[in-house]
Amino acid sequence: MTKQHYVTIKGTKDGLVLRLDDKCAYSDMIAELRNKVSENSLEGLAEVKVHIGNRYCNEEELKEIMNVVHESPHLRVSKIQSEVITIEECNQKVLENQSETYIGIVRSGQVVKADGDLVVIGDVNPNGRVVAAGSIYILGRLKGIAHAGATGNEEAVIAASWLEATHLMIADKLETMTDELTILSEQPEMECAYIHSNGFIAIDRLQELRILRPNLSTFKGGS
Amino acid sequence: MGEAIVITSGKGGVGKTTTSANLGTALALQGKKVCLVDTDIGLRNLDVILGLENRIIYDLVDVIAGRCKIHQALVKDKRFEDGLFLLPAAQTTDKNAVEPGEMKELITELKRDYDYILIDCPAGIEQGYKNAVAGADRAIVVTTPEISAVRDADRIIGLLEQEDIEPPKLIINRIKSRLVNSGDALDVNEITTHLSIDLLGIVLDDEKVISSSNKGEPVVMDPSNPAAIGYRNIARRILGESVPLMSLDEGSPGFFGKLKSLFAK
Repeated sequence: MTKQHYVTIKGTKDGLVLRLDDKCAYSDMIAELRNKVSENSLEGLAEVKVHIGNRYCNEEELKEIMNVVHESPHLRVSKIQSEVITIEECNQKVLENQSETYIGIVRSGQVVKADGDLVVIGDVNPNGRVVAAGSIYILGRLKGIAHAGATGNEEAVIAASWLEATHLMIADKLETMTDELTILSEQPEMECAYIHSNGFIAIDRLQELRILRPNLSTFKGGS
Repeated sequence: MGEAIVITSGKGGVGKTTTSANLGTALALQGKKVCLVDTDIGLRNLDVILGLENRIIYDLVDVIAGRCKIHQALVKDKRFEDGLFLLPAAQTTDKNAVEPGEMKELITELKRDYDYILIDCPAGIEQGYKNAVAGADRAIVVTTPEISAVRDADRIIGLLEQEDIEPPKLIINRIKSRLVNSGDALDVNEITTHLSIDLLGIVLDDEKVISSSNKGEPVVMDPSNPAAIGYRNIARRILGESVPLMSLDEGSPGFFGKLKSLFAK
């Protein structure tokens, strides 16, 4: 019986890659991985990328793989890469990348939430709240509370035809729009809020957005 | 088949009960058969403003509990020949004594006999509000030109928009024309744009509203009073007439006043 190799270590120009076979039984693969990393041929401390191919591993299994690799004093996992995700994760990804449109007025006490970007056509009144994992675009007056990048995306922005919010939140940053704030303008028309490189929320003209956050554009083609 | 209109505001003290009493009276003056329903159980007032306090025998909770028939609990306003009735709220229990389903049944029954049923809603957004809205076909939101009242109106409009009723209409009550003209109070335009609902009418602030309420006679009975004109106009709009909005300029100096101020310079 020829011994099959379930685990191979390769050096690439991006560093070490640990390739784990995705056809064999999980327990066989883990056993061989444990053997492989305990070989004494390694020296120093190397970062390694783990490729698990088309095998789906849940959180616990991923943790186990990581722990086994870390049993060797010479290896550190920088990333575990997989070719597959669950349908649930896929659906979540789709949601995060799409934009939802709400037409109407977000009144006091109401909350409008989106998993991706959120477009509101109408006003957000005081004590009304709009929350999105992505960016928030308001065709109307924002006079309430807006929270963009609610799941931690610091690149998210809040743009409004009239930006007169009481509270602006992006990722985990909060700005209360009090009178002392110097970033407020007299005529808050066509403005956007974003996290400045200094770590605070800043407000600028809407027209600056293409320079501040060029990656927000998903538009392809055109002339 | 009549129409049930709930009069609500969210905030207390903006004039829901006064508005209910005056609109009910104004509609009765127009020859309609009106029934006012006070749903502010535990803190009833509508009977006092209409001057019907000492004619109450049974109340809304008695009807719902089956202790009496509806017509036994209805109090007739003697000023109108079978035109205006009041179903008073109970005073000895609280708002949880009634369920929205029971309220709906009651209002449906009243709609068979009356042209308009005006439901006076308690302040707040809890059980009492839910009961009051349950049987309504339309809603009127009352606010005053104060920021806190407008905020609460916004909240209540949001809740009403989730109900299966027509879009609510707005009444701006207690407008002090002097303050509005000097720019110290929110003006009508500002409030309606902020709330973005249709304006049903405005009512000017007038001392007579309080003094006549204290006498148990709604101010709308006096056809020359500015507040009464406001209420009468609203009643006509409810009936489908198109009535232009009254102007706020009654406090401004007339021709001679302007002439005088010209020479004073």
